[in-house]
Amino acid sequence: MRENGQFERGEAESESGEASTEPSIDAVELQGEELEIGYPTTTEPVVECERVLLPAGEVTALVGPNGSGKSTLLKAMANQLAPESGAIRLDGQQVQSLDSKELARRLGLLSQEHDSPASLTVEELAYHGRYPHRGFFESVGDDDRRAVERAIELAGVEHLRGKSMANLSGGQKQLAWIAMVLAQETDVLLLDEPTTYLDLHHQLRVMEVVRKLNREDGVTVGIVLHDIGQAARFADNLIAMKDGAPYDWGPPREVVTEELLSDVFRVDASVDAESPTGPHIAPHRALDE
Amino acid sequence: MSTEPVSESESGSGPTATTGRFLDGVDGALVSLCLASVAVVVAGGLVQVSFGSYSMTVWQAWAAVFDPQVLFNLRAWEAFLFGAELPEMNQRSLIVWNIRLPRVFVAVVVGMNLAVSGAIFQAVTRNELASPFILGVSSGAGLLILLTLVVFSGLSALLPLVAALGGAAAFLVVYAIAWKNGTSPVRLVLAGVIVGTVFQSLQTGLFFFADDIGVVQSAIAWTTGSLTGTDWEQVRMALPWTVVAIGLSLLGARQLNVLLLGEQTARSLGMSVEKVRFALSGVAVLAAAASIAVAGIVGFVGLIVPHMVRNVVGSEYRKLIVGCLFAGPALMVAADVGARLGLELLFGASTQVPVGIVTGLVGGPYFLYLMRKQEALGEI
Repeated sequence: MRENGQFERGEAESESGEASTEPSIDAVELQGEELEIGYPTTTEPVVECERVLLPAGEVTALVGPNGSGKSTLLKAMANQLAPESGAIRLDGQQVQSLDSKELARRLGLLSQEHDSPASLTVEELAYHGRYPHRGFFESVGDDDRRAVERAIELAGVEHLRGKSMANLSGGQKQLAWIAMVLAQETDVLLLDEPTTYLDLHHQLRVMEVVRKLNREDGVTVGIVLHDIGQAARFADNLIAMKDGAPYDWGPPREVVTEELLSDVFRVDASVDAESPTGPHIAPHRALDE
Repeated sequence: MSTEPVSESESGSGPTATTGRFLDGVDGALVSLCLASVAVVVAGGLVQVSFGSYSMTVWQAWAAVFDPQVLFNLRAWEAFLFGAELPEMNQRSLIVWNIRLPRVFVAVVVGMNLAVSGAIFQAVTRNELASPFILGVSSGAGLLILLTLVVFSGLSALLPLVAALGGAAAFLVVYAIAWKNGTSPVRLVLAGVIVGTVFQSLQTGLFFFADDIGVVQSAIAWTTGSLTGTDWEQVRMALPWTVVAIGLSLLGARQLNVLLLGEQTARSLGMSVEKVRFALSGVAVLAAAASIAVAGIVGFVGLIVPHMVRNVVGSEYRKLIVGCLFAGPALMVAADVGARLGLELLFGASTQVPVGIVTGLVGGPYFLYLMRKQEALGEI
């Protein structure tokens, strides 16, 4: 086990699973340093971490139990929550210094809570993803149309494009929202628990879209996942959070151990690290607090 | 548009794919709504010009409306819209064009302003019960109206301006109270309730200091909204502000649409939510203030019209606002027919009631009907 909160990137990353991780040239990394993140209502910072890195062109999953600060960290990385101290850098530039639309053209966030008017159609929603690319008086251009077409295709919601959100299932809705952030065409995409509450089919659909986006467009992805098994299967890197600080960081096969599951998740489980689809976890029982 | 097949599969709601091109944004429901509204306005207007204390037959009145000597007379329009000298015209045309019609036009302007203002506030506060007056505008205006009438009666010539300013000032107070590292819809609405309550009490208290019934009646007319005695002067007063407010709200429609996705999403799409919210509220207050200046505080129109329109065209704000521009005047003109002629018809009395009373009487039950019929009513 590495020391709390401080990691050096190991060599291990090069052997991270099923290969094909070839970050495209213009992939962008997102990095946080010396972060202390809290809410106005809390006195103590909720998250403290010395260094957190989403490597360029890779999928990094944040995992951890409820209340471990993974969503908070993600929000701060997306500049939705100002850290009390520390800096977040997108490709070397401080995100706080970027204009909000400029940032939204480069970094997309799909938050956990969102709302949509009942009569909004999937296609209309996807067009809202073009918001940061359009000036106040600008109308829809060819770029916007192309981006939306591609987003709808990537998210696999062509057959739903004319349907209104009120008539979709939870999983379909989530895919529609993903089409919206895809239309944003950002270099970095952060997703906060995009698979929670979805049925297995739609969970896999969402993860496949994310994977495809990463592989085809070299988009750097940060994703909060509840299901560590899923994270282990789809992510290039895991960041395991415990009590507001990163506990371990690295490729799934190294991070997911029986020790981690008992220390961080308070679960007694056995791990088959040799399983071909990434470390396989068989949980047995919950450990006492 | 050239190559890609933009949503041919859907009929009505596809056009936003090409937001920004106005003609593509036209859809059947919206067009029917607008046409129906225009029909109501025209019918209401014709009724309004046909009756009154100067007796003429219905045909004479209608002939006067379409009198080419007025209709195509530039000098007449100059007189109406810019207050120039009125050219010669026969007496019927004068009565119709200078007394009866302006009231219809004021109703149209007021209806537009209130409906658009309500629609904006419903999105900004994300509250389906929001009306133009939710952020304290009516109570601020009401208080200053009472103060002017009762205490500073020397200022009564400036009453329209004072009322509008009072509304705008109350809005700023509400915003200041709600502000704490930014605001939120809930904080805004709560601050609006607080300010509204205090100002309302003060306003009611002031009634005790009014020493004659005329002042009280005038105060009631202002605080419930009335079109009695309005003429071209009021049209001239409200029109410029109305044009500005409506132009800005149409421009802001896309911002409103994005706001409806929730604050988090709006922010992650790069919107400066606080700035946009304040600016849009400002536009809505401007519209509300313009209507208060000419008609006082007409209730209910701004609450119900956006719901009626949303029911028909959905919650896409560009369509919604266009719909409100037509449906608002329809409700207002129809209600004013009742306000002006209702008592005469029912009781033979020649008294007029404030139009705000009629909008409440008509609007309330209609709202109830919508609520019973539509399960989804209220969802923005």
